[in-house]
Amino acid sequence: MTIISLSHIDKSFGPVRIVKDLNLTIEDQEFLVFLGPSGCGKTTTMRMVAGLEHPTMGDVAFDGQRMNEVPTQRRDVAMVFQNYGLYPHMSVAQNIAYPLKLRGIALGERDKLVAKAADRVELGPFLKRMPRELSGGQRQRVALARSIVRTPRVFLMDEPLSNLDAKLRVVARAQIKHLAEDLKVTTIYVTHDQVEAMTLAHRVAVMQDGVIRQLGAPEDIYNDPADSFVAGFIGSPAMNLLPVQAQVSGLLAEGGLQIRLNAPRPGALLLGARAEDMRLGSLDDAHLQADVFTFEMLGESTMATVMVGQTLIAVKAPKDLRLRSGARIGIHFDPQRLYWFDAASGARIRD
Amino acid sequence: MTAGFHPDAAPGYTPSATERSVHWVRQLAVIVLISAILLPIAWIFLTAFKTPRDVYSISSALWFTPTLENLQTVFREPWNLGNKIFNSFAVAGGTVLLAMPMATMAAYAFSRFDFRFKQSIFLVVIASQFIPAAVVVLPYFLMFKEAGMLDTRTALVLVNLSIVLPYAVWMIKGFIDAVPMEIEESAVVDGASRARVIWEIVVPTALPGIITAAVFSFTLTWNEFLFALIIGKQHALTLPIGLIGFRTERGDLWELMAAGGVLITAPMFLISLLVQKQFVGSLTAGSVR
Repeated sequence: MTIISLSHIDKSFGPVRIVKDLNLTIEDQEFLVFLGPSGCGKTTTMRMVAGLEHPTMGDVAFDGQRMNEVPTQRRDVAMVFQNYGLYPHMSVAQNIAYPLKLRGIALGERDKLVAKAADRVELGPFLKRMPRELSGGQRQRVALARSIVRTPRVFLMDEPLSNLDAKLRVVARAQIKHLAEDLKVTTIYVTHDQVEAMTLAHRVAVMQDGVIRQLGAPEDIYNDPADSFVAGFIGSPAMNLLPVQAQVSGLLAEGGLQIRLNAPRPGALLLGARAEDMRLGSLDDAHLQADVFTFEMLGESTMATVMVGQTLIAVKAPKDLRLRSGARIGIHFDPQRLYWFDAASGARIRD
Repeated sequence: MTAGFHPDAAPGYTPSATERSVHWVRQLAVIVLISAILLPIAWIFLTAFKTPRDVYSISSALWFTPTLENLQTVFREPWNLGNKIFNSFAVAGGTVLLAMPMATMAAYAFSRFDFRFKQSIFLVVIASQFIPAAVVVLPYFLMFKEAGMLDTRTALVLVNLSIVLPYAVWMIKGFIDAVPMEIEESAVVDGASRARVIWEIVVPTALPGIITAAVFSFTLTWNEFLFALIIGKQHALTLPIGLIGFRTERGDLWELMAAGGVLITAPMFLISLLVQKQFVGSLTAGSVR
């Protein structure tokens, strides 16, 4: 049972302020994902939970107990590093056993726990190998096994899948999700990959520039983004964000294009719409008419992209459709699934 | 014939006449170079097993009846190389045993910790190597005389430590720098204290570097001449000093000197053979992606 609370966490490296007044409570057994681009402070924040970094200001607490002064060794956390951090001079079994060895657990008991952990990640036949003899996916599983061999209070994972190839990533993702559910331990997971965030998290904290932009369940982040950054970060392909001038008569986009939609308020706005919420239809009653810039076949669907001023707008279309560059198409938005943002601040305008 | 010239070339590749002659000229140059380096050593080795007459004779340069007489003579009076071998081992061994832990800990501190004047202190440590031995010999002599430590092996160990430590620290620091921080952080998260991290994780991973530094330190101390000469008198004489004894009023006793030379270099060869295994393969491969 571990609730993690971060209160007013601030971290600076010299003059650079990496994490800015961060406040967050992670519930017991929750799988929380820190999602954001490089340099947003997500890894730094997680390292402060581990104790590998110390906050410049603010408190880290486990179950209400302040952990700032507690050294990493005694925090009872387990961590999977991006580059695995395996001990090169020890075999797989010795790597996995190390946390137990440090706690003085007897050899017989140690071997049993190691075997159990290894089986969980399907590493049974590899116990005697050395890390340099293993593939990337296998090394990652050793790192995982080492983190689960004893049951810690908190799991921390720092982009564990980023060094795996795409196919392996999908498999490993499923394994991690299964493992986390099985072990029922509070987990913090750091990634820049929004697919991982969507599939693994109970809640996602989207971070940018040291600040949490939005905290919520994946579906809420996806369907109800708090600002244009979150909207543009989640989803693949990214949400279309089109700068428009909202007037009484309709919307004026760059390049003089008229869009036949009504905005909630006048002024400079960003119109957000997901590719899958738009469709191609007849030209006459289309909200927007434009020429095809590129047309891509994705297998399960196709994607038509048009250029509006400087912005590319993508629309998903049925997989059997074929279009040529330059063809005139009519884009239909779904009025129920439009997102409006203030062009200057990026803040979401809710009506 | 063709395969010997260009192993990477496609089969059936025939080098031109120019390419062939260039190749042979290169081979010859290599042979000349290697001979220049190895022949003197081979010569000394052979001389150690020659009778005094054979040493000076050209006809017996390569074909002679070998004798073990020299190797036996050098252990007797007045040369007593046995005693000097013991001293050399004691001093070199003692220096290495003391220097390695000290250098490793210093190297770790320089590599992992941040403290005031770190850069400057490190520079001073390295730069101390540039002080010529002749400059500090007299101060050392006076210092040991005051302390009543002249002609002791302890004094020699202390002097050699000051010679060897800067290089050892610098070299081991390089190897510790190469150990990824993630490995240490993993160990810390797993629950290891800093001491355990160093002893169980960093040292084994940086071991090739530590062994290299150890071998270098041993060699440096083993061959050290100037301080051994100044500080040693009767009890703390090492092998290099022992070699001087073969320059007598009768002339240079080459065959005995060569025997002494063989005794001096033999341990070096053995150590090198033993240590080679440590450098096969890369130790940190596989620990991080």
